[in-house]
Amino acid sequence: MASSVVNLRVNERSREFLAAPGTTLLSSLRDTLGLMAAKRGCAQGGCGTCTVLLDDRPVMACLVAVETVDGASVRTLEGVARDGELDEVQSAFLEGFATQCGFCTAGMIMAAEALLERNPDPTRDEVVEAISGNVCRCTGYGPIVDAILDAAARRRS
Amino acid sequence: MISAVRTPDSVAAAVGHAAAGGWLMAGGTVVMPQVNNGAVGSPELISLRRAGLDGISLDGTAARVGATTTLAEVEESADLAFLRGAMRTVASPAIRSLATVGGNLFVTQPYGDLAVCLLALDATAEIAGPDGSREAPVDAVLASGVAPGEVVTAVRLAVPAPGTWFYHKAMRRRLNSAAIVAVAAVVETTGGLVTSARIALGGVAPRPVRAVSAETVLIGRPLESGVLEEAGRAARADIAPFDDAYASAWYRDRVLPVHLSRAFLG
Repeated sequence: MASSVVNLRVNERSREFLAAPGTTLLSSLRDTLGLMAAKRGCAQGGCGTCTVLLDDRPVMACLVAVETVDGASVRTLEGVARDGELDEVQSAFLEGFATQCGFCTAGMIMAAEALLERNPDPTRDEVVEAISGNVCRCTGYGPIVDAILDAAARRRS
Repeated sequence: MISAVRTPDSVAAAVGHAAAGGWLMAGGTVVMPQVNNGAVGSPELISLRRAGLDGISLDGTAARVGATTTLAEVEESADLAFLRGAMRTVASPAIRSLATVGGNLFVTQPYGDLAVCLLALDATAEIAGPDGSREAPVDAVLASGVAPGEVVTAVRLAVPAPGTWFYHKAMRRRLNSAAIVAVAAVVETTGGLVTSARIALGGVAPRPVRAVSAETVLIGRPLESGVLEEAGRAARADIAPFDDAYASAWYRDRVLPVHLSRAFLG
């Protein structure tokens, strides 16, 4: 039952902490490192609100046993804004009313960041696919898809 | 509570831990939901993430895909481009960047779309165990799993010739939903007539199954709607459908011929 020392690079900062066996990346972020953006929703990989970037790929942080990714790079919503300035995705979400209750927003934005890093000019269908694992029960998705397309256009210009 | 998480850095070490009774885990998309439910007791988890089992290699048409290669890596592989469409119907991107090729052989239906593809491709599993390595058809692994202490280390498959690969998955939604019926097939034709056929079905039995009755119908005949409808009806003899949240057994049986045809005719 011994805890392990885990090292992660979280939002470009080295973090070292103890994790009990089977602790998830999500729990480490929230409960150990105090990074509360990624939410605990279903804990089954079905809702997407815990989406973070693990070595630049979107993952459900609730499905990652943190001891198995020792040494990895993790990016969360807290690392997206630069010097207090929202990035293009955050700005587009804010201005496009793409967030209502906000529970899905952190995961939606990280899924969008993952998409735009690989595909700076996505089609609407590609945006829908990118967020297909992220459940929103408020917006009906339209404003979110619009915001991600808007963010892509802002980032290209 | 999980008693320990092992991260062996070699196959031999993974086999050693597995032989001692731990739970093997690759991407975690199946094991971790159970861990999070608190319903697993206190096993050791053995992660294959560091065991050096990832990667895709191609020699001519012979592909070898390491067991911990993720579905996202398969989706992005130019060597396995024929599987891209199938991969994009599996769950969501944030699951595909965790879920693995080897793990897909051990998920319960109606999940495991890649396993359906591997069955149609007549793929071979490379297996390491306490008594050495062996190979087995993916069909056999799907039917009876592997022995305690054994670890699937890779799958090998032949990339089908252009125009001979067919895949169609019927879902309740266009994305991120499990199979109502999945059809994967390698069918070769000469002069418009079928000369060989391997058809695998997902979503319609407790494990992926060959539609041997449909294959028999197709041999020597053209891939035309009447023939395919006959093959689809014949395939009902090969399935053992179940009720779940996605569809009833009755519905799966009912729509199988339609989707078998769509795999070939769109």
